[in-house]
Amino acid sequence: MSQLPLSTDAALASTVRRPSRFMAFWKPFMASKMGPIGLAILIFVAICAIFANVIAPDGPFALGAPRLLAPGSEGHLLGTDHLGRDMVAQLVYGARVSLVIGLVAALISLVVGVIVGSIAGYYGGWADLVFSRITDMFLIMPAFFLIIIVVATLGSGIMYVMIVIGLTAWPASARLMRSQALTLRERTFIQGLKALGESSPRILLRHIIPNGIQPLIANASLDVASAILIEAGLSFIGLGDPNKATWGRMIYDGRTTILTAWWTSVLPGVAIIITVLGFYLVGDGISYVLSPRSRKVQA
Amino acid sequence: MGRYISRQLASIIPTIFLSVVLNFILLHAAPGDPARIMAGMDSASPEQIEAIRVKLGLDRPLPVQFWNYVKELLQGNLGQSITYKQPVLDLIMARLPATLMLTVTSAVIALVIGTLLGAIAAQKSGKPTDTALSFSNYALFAMPSFWLGLILIVIFASKLGWLPTSGMRNVRAGYTGWRDTLDVMEHLILPVATLALVQIPIYFRVTRASVLQQQREDYVTTFRATGLPEGRIFRRYALRNALLPTVTVFGLSLGFVFTGAALVEIVFAWPGIGRMTLDAVGRRDYPLLLGIYLILAIAVSIAVLITDLVYALLDPRIRLR
Repeated sequence: MSQLPLSTDAALASTVRRPSRFMAFWKPFMASKMGPIGLAILIFVAICAIFANVIAPDGPFALGAPRLLAPGSEGHLLGTDHLGRDMVAQLVYGARVSLVIGLVAALISLVVGVIVGSIAGYYGGWADLVFSRITDMFLIMPAFFLIIIVVATLGSGIMYVMIVIGLTAWPASARLMRSQALTLRERTFIQGLKALGESSPRILLRHIIPNGIQPLIANASLDVASAILIEAGLSFIGLGDPNKATWGRMIYDGRTTILTAWWTSVLPGVAIIITVLGFYLVGDGISYVLSPRSRKVQA
Repeated sequence: MGRYISRQLASIIPTIFLSVVLNFILLHAAPGDPARIMAGMDSASPEQIEAIRVKLGLDRPLPVQFWNYVKELLQGNLGQSITYKQPVLDLIMARLPATLMLTVTSAVIALVIGTLLGAIAAQKSGKPTDTALSFSNYALFAMPSFWLGLILIVIFASKLGWLPTSGMRNVRAGYTGWRDTLDVMEHLILPVATLALVQIPIYFRVTRASVLQQQREDYVTTFRATGLPEGRIFRRYALRNALLPTVTVFGLSLGFVFTGAALVEIVFAWPGIGRMTLDAVGRRDYPLLLGIYLILAIAVSIAVLITDLVYALLDPRIRLR
């Protein structure tokens, strides 16, 4: 009986002293210079996107004003475009499109990259050879042109755009995952599991991928950023989803009126920069947490 | 060295062949019929469209079309453009100089400025200078190239009137000789500035990370212990070693520059490959597109190979076998 209080004390002490996994990440992340700024930006953009239908109940294409209006006039906070459509409404609905495309494309790239990269790195040999041929090919083929071809031929629905961007972005994350798997498979605990007769797919799923995925998360944040930029480029050359308000198309539409109404093209560009910057800064914060420099903060 | 080059060339060929196959399948499997576009949208009869299809060889099965294409390719024939009715190779070669002028100039400028700023940031690591440089670097990297180009046109061409808005030369003036060269250079400033600005962050990041890594190396510690001045360690040793990765990035970024240039070419109405590519997509000009992609793939592969060689020349630790 006398041992029981002691052990609960010990258990209590360990739960108090050892920070949770979340806190172990959170503290150094907030201590990084760029991370918190990026997070604040992304929360703001996400709120705009989520509450787009509250902010602009009439939708992005409502022809509210009779003409082009300057910012602040007649209840249009940021003015209207050449068709009299409210800029705020288009911007917040554009945020939805950009965020969804960026996040889904990055997720596709992450999943494909993790699967392909871990298999190539862990099994090596033949699988690795095929892998390096394919990634070489992606290296020499300009992804943007490839995306243009697919979107121009298959159609420019938001679905195709997301999938195609994701499927051209995976080689970078696959290369990261491959090098992670290469180092992990030589580690003693993996060799031990092998000796114990653990099956290879199980080792991959339960040990290699969870232990090696961290740097890919920072990379995924950059993938979101580049997907948003690619989608903007596609919309700019008229290959965006025609049924959606997108920032790239707003810039394109505003091109003709930019000399008389600067806000039509400038504001969507600023929206892109702010959002993409948010993802870059969050990525910077995550890399800081993963780098050895941040150990001081964690301790 | 010779063996290394021939082995690398041998590994490039299957990669390029694979990309030709992929592009071919993608283009031909997709909906959108060049024969219909050539015949005109509404007035053409089915017989007319069929006649055009037979003439272009589009009526035959896909593997046969592919085999014919590869056969011509091996003889150095990239085929005829459907829309321009000219040999694809001639079309590409006519526009290549304009694009190269843009991409190479901007890449070199970005390399110099980005490397310089990256080295400065690394030296001031953790100080306000570093934070400011890193932050503005991210902001620059977040800018869509086409948007930046548009803004530069509005400011420097429309409002201030210092520079021409678009095109490659002032056609109306009809300059010749050195005046023409000067004219082209005037037109070059804004698109090159746009492309250089969006590329600076690439070199900035690589150089900063690489310098920081070098400064933690044992040899730097040894130099410090011997009392060598910090500035001298940096200039003579750390910086030199840190510059190696930027060489690799320069080679790899060429593909990116081409695609980035396409959007900038549209904004500035620059008569280059990028604009032709986007037009060709719209018109389903398969031979032209396949030709452009092939030339691009070969160019990037060779650039990567040359990068490897330059790298080996600069770094005596690397022996190419």
